[in-house]
Amino acid sequence: MIDHVDSKVWVFVEQRHGHVAEVGLELVGKALELAGLLEWKVAAVLVGHQLGEITERVLSYGVDEVLVADDPLLAEYCNEPYVKAIEGAVRLWQPEALLLGATAMGTDLAPRLAARLRTGLSAHCIDLKITPDGQLLSAVPGWGGSVLAQISCPRTKPQCATVMPGVFAMPEPGDNRGRVIPIEVHLQPEDVTYRVVEVKREEAPKSGLQTAEIVVAGGWGVGTKADWGLVEDLAAALNAAVGATRPPVDEGWAHEKQMIGQSGITVRPKLYIGVGISGHMHHLVGIKKPELMVAINSDPNAAIFDHCDIGIVGDLKEVVPGLTRAIREHSEAVSKKTER
Amino acid sequence: MRIIVCLKPVPDPKHWNKLKLDPQTRTLVRTGIPGTINPLDRNALEEALRVREALGGEVIVLSMAPPDAQPVLKEALARGADRAVLLSDRVFAGSDTLATAYVLSEAIRTLGDFDLVLCGDETIDGGTAQVSAQLAEFLGVPNLMHVSSVDARPDAPWLVRSQIEHGCMVVEVKPPMVLSVVKAINEPRYVTLMNILQAEGKELAIWSAQDVNLSEPWVGLAGSPTQMADLLTPERKGRAEMLPGSPANQARALADRLHRLGFC
Amino acid sequence: MDFKFSDREELLRKTARDYAEKELPPRMEAMEETGEFPVELLPSMGAMGILGVITAPQYGGIGMGQLARIIVLEELGRVCPAIPMALQVHHMCTYAIGTWGNDEQKAKYLPRLAKGETMGVVAVTEPSGGSDVAGLQTTAKLEGDNYILNGRKCFITNSHTGDIWVVIARTGEGGKGLSAFIVEKDYPGAKTGRKENKVGLRGANTGELAFTNCEVPKENLLGQEGMGMSIAIRDIVECGRPGMTAVALGILNAVCEQAVKFANERSLYGKSISKLQAIQWYLAEIYSDLEISRLLAYRVGWMLDEKIDCAAESALAKQYACEAAARSARKAIEIHGSYGIMKEYPVQRLLRDALVTIPAGGTAEISKLVLARQALAVFGQG
Repeated sequence: MIDHVDSKVWVFVEQRHGHVAEVGLELVGKALELAGLLEWKVAAVLVGHQLGEITERVLSYGVDEVLVADDPLLAEYCNEPYVKAIEGAVRLWQPEALLLGATAMGTDLAPRLAARLRTGLSAHCIDLKITPDGQLLSAVPGWGGSVLAQISCPRTKPQCATVMPGVFAMPEPGDNRGRVIPIEVHLQPEDVTYRVVEVKREEAPKSGLQTAEIVVAGGWGVGTKADWGLVEDLAAALNAAVGATRPPVDEGWAHEKQMIGQSGITVRPKLYIGVGISGHMHHLVGIKKPELMVAINSDPNAAIFDHCDIGIVGDLKEVVPGLTRAIREHSEAVSKKTER
Repeated sequence: MRIIVCLKPVPDPKHWNKLKLDPQTRTLVRTGIPGTINPLDRNALEEALRVREALGGEVIVLSMAPPDAQPVLKEALARGADRAVLLSDRVFAGSDTLATAYVLSEAIRTLGDFDLVLCGDETIDGGTAQVSAQLAEFLGVPNLMHVSSVDARPDAPWLVRSQIEHGCMVVEVKPPMVLSVVKAINEPRYVTLMNILQAEGKELAIWSAQDVNLSEPWVGLAGSPTQMADLLTPERKGRAEMLPGSPANQARALADRLHRLGFC
Repeated sequence: MDFKFSDREELLRKTARDYAEKELPPRMEAMEETGEFPVELLPSMGAMGILGVITAPQYGGIGMGQLARIIVLEELGRVCPAIPMALQVHHMCTYAIGTWGNDEQKAKYLPRLAKGETMGVVAVTEPSGGSDVAGLQTTAKLEGDNYILNGRKCFITNSHTGDIWVVIARTGEGGKGLSAFIVEKDYPGAKTGRKENKVGLRGANTGELAFTNCEVPKENLLGQEGMGMSIAIRDIVECGRPGMTAVALGILNAVCEQAVKFANERSLYGKSISKLQAIQWYLAEIYSDLEISRLLAYRVGWMLDEKIDCAAESALAKQYACEAAARSARKAIEIHGSYGIMKEYPVQRLLRDALVTIPAGGTAEISKLVLARQALAVFGQG
């Protein structure tokens, strides 16, 4: 007896070793919003082994259905068996859209799955819309970051998208109202095309970027590794976290974990100061609604000046140390006052 | 050992400030911007050279690009590839990742048996990071992304390390396979002047759509399931309030403002 | 006429640029402070083929020509002009041995120079002057199996970093009485003297060589006795001056970049100073000097590779480019205002570097003599 599945929008809720990636739940929230416009239902897709507790937790986020592929061969992530499990369910129940988080797993699974289904996939989206006729429109920061491309997938189903973690708010859990439907999987050991020998966890350097109230970020315009110190000094004076665009990471001035933007992390500070950052969308999409956004750049035509509240055009080597000094003077004055 | 490196010519990022959007055609004007090897593809090529050094064999670079990408492939040959194939045909224009992966997979089939296909994890222009996995799917071989080390063992499954959130996983996998690499995997060597000379004797074949067997419809714009519905200019706040004066005055004015708002 | 670089030349430029941008900036501060050439780069420059660019492949070199060499030196000089200064003299040494050396000499010395085991030196100038080659006073007397050298050479590039010296010394009277020798630093009686403290190109080492009854095996005579004058002059014309031109091109590139960068960044009266006509005139002049120097330099490279005599063209390119580098650096400093004379900004160094290129490889006045001779020869007979 095969269950009937009503949901038209599916969200792959990623779990690894029982740990649920938050982006999956963020996407559940967004999917409920989009599907609501068309009175569609939403399903979460869970893949793994012994998923009982997680199933309950996902249900609490308000999905109509949780589709569960549970098999010992799915205990450790390998893309081929995961693709097979989801492919079977998609062919059977034919959803309109399938959303995945742009995580290490999601960015690996989604393209292979989309190719198996011969359907379209838009990558690293920063926004999703749905048209009245059910077309999913994904906003993807485009070429060189100067534009946002709206990608659609008009001819094939499901319309697939991977979405950056952090772009949609985390929903609040509520009452379970959905039902659990098992996905039948028929896996053979040879479907597991690579064997995970070891999973190493590294202590991530605590940049504190995601939770920082103040973020000072530097870009290519900082110029050299030595001058990167100016950015760090400014951040220290403000007790801020240090972020970066891609070039400083590539040049080795900053750590990979400090990269803000489309292929890095999303920050939600109250104050953001961008130093030597030209303002490509790839970076800007990683900065969510700061109260005050400041940019310091030597190029008066830098795009970032169209996105920030306060701008300074000038030589970074002068402005930034001057700013650091002036801020320290204020902080010292404040701490003296408190001492009295 | 036959190793294929899929390599994308991209406009040199050092010149990206010269990129202009043509408001009429909504395409990017890249006149005068030299092409270069997509940065991560350079790491992929370097890794291919290292595997070749360890196990022997040949390294073939493969690109789907307009004919003016030849200098970029010549650079790849100078970097140490044994030969290059440029897939160039008007019918390929407008291919999305699925169509690109399909055409590349058929070109690889035409080349014959292979042990390893290497790609960069993502390109700096499109940045979709999808082609390597889709290529593996069309070829029907395992793939790993975010690869930060490869231990190519002659008589045993290879050990491949792939980056995941806050760590990595190490897997055992047998060739043939497709791997896409991250920057941390290696430091590409310099091209030497001797390499440049030697590259001039290497084969650079240009293939059209006729040279590969394209039986499925996934080719070019028409065969691409995704389409660009619209191009939007990102939301702009409008011109910022610019702080005037000497650097010292600018710095002081900003610090005072931050102080008033309670940030320092 | 074809003014387009080939794919090979474009790739060569890119390769040299990649290397320069990665390896040189971290070393420049120390070079500027200590006046020392970063000898630790020699193995990688050897492996890259930069040191042996004009050396034949059978002696460990690349066997490219002068145009290729100019492109490589220009790109290195764009980042750090002292580097091509030192390398260009190293190349002059490889050129002298490669052109006038016999098979044994080439096999013995060229691979070491191409690999970067040591640097090469060409020693012509003496305390009494450099341009008057015929008036050189260092002597070489054949005694048994050795030539015995006595004398001093000064303002010698790579004096303390190079172990293989091509030395011009007197074996007879007058201009025909000069001969060239390959002298190894370790030969008895050979010694390095003082190190000079230059205002510019500080990372290229310059100093004195001294010979006191220095014993040079007679098989180290380069070419024949009496060829010293011709070797010295041809080495300067066919290798030294194009090399110095390339150093100046490097400086001009850097000057242009710095001038435009500052003009774009600096704002006055609420707008970028690059919008001011006074500044634009400077930029136009600097850019013109770069482009003119390039045309002159590449033409010389091409003529040399085509084996066309170009003594006058080589002198013109060298003199024009070096003067252009100095006056453009001066203008870039004007654009910078007071910042231009601050050590934090590279333009002041570029001016110092440019000043040092002017007397190297023949003063401007000597170049003008050559050019005047050419003008009189071409237009003199109606």
